[in-house]
Amino acid sequence: MSSSRFRWIMRALLLIVTASAAAGLLASPQAFADATDEYPIPSKQIETLCDAEQYLAAARDTSPIYFERYMLDKSNRPLDVQQAAEDRIHWFYSLDAAGRRQYSEDTATNIYYEQVATRWGNWAKVFFNNKGVVAKATAVCMNYPRGDLSVWDWPVAR
Amino acid sequence: MKSRLIAGLVSALVALPIAAAPVASADRDTDFAAQLHGFGIYGQRDFNAWLAKITCKRLTTGVDADARESAVFLSQNLARTTTTEQVWQFLGAGIPLYCPEHTAALTALAGDHA
Repeated sequence: MSSSRFRWIMRALLLIVTASAAAGLLASPQAFADATDEYPIPSKQIETLCDAEQYLAAARDTSPIYFERYMLDKSNRPLDVQQAAEDRIHWFYSLDAAGRRQYSEDTATNIYYEQVATRWGNWAKVFFNNKGVVAKATAVCMNYPRGDLSVWDWPVAR
Repeated sequence: MKSRLIAGLVSALVALPIAAAPVASADRDTDFAAQLHGFGIYGQRDFNAWLAKITCKRLTTGVDADARESAVFLSQNLARTTTTEQVWQFLGAGIPLYCPEHTAALTALAGDHA
């Protein structure tokens, strides 16, 4: 085999390797910030039949320090923001599981989707952020009265 | 002579409240942790202190109607290895320290068993 022919063969091989590497890179799946069944909203929260007050009362008893910190944080917000958070979580619980899953997707893919979060980043922390807290509270929340708004009136130390 | 007597009296009056002032304790949470260690209850000092304060708050707000309900609340939130006896020891140490106004809730229950 002459040296020029050998060089041509090597060039052709290199071209094939380069082209296949490039094709592999281009065809690889793009990374998306999709929601999952557990993130940002845990599945047990999506599926629960409890309302906001039942869940909150359960969290007060099953994750008392987490609940306390949420209430403390809430008390440090302007009253209109606190009310907006309560209204928004009532809206969330009015959705069915499919609607909640869609909401989870919407908040995961668009950071500006949730308007309450623009004024209070952790507005739903006790409801969404901790899978363990959600698991413990949703396991017993059905034993608490529905719609008992007094659970929101939790005195916090000043 | 008379002025010396008055000066002595004033000094005594000033010294009395200083001497009678409560002995400075390191910190309530530390005292509580030390008591808990005596019962074999460990865990984070802040966590235990916060749990005791929340127990008090639940009695104040009426979420827990009596010490028995407080004990149920504590048994759900202390470490799983905590015995019933330790739960009551936690309560017995925590209430006088963080909310002595609820000590009656404890003694009322003691009366039940008498």
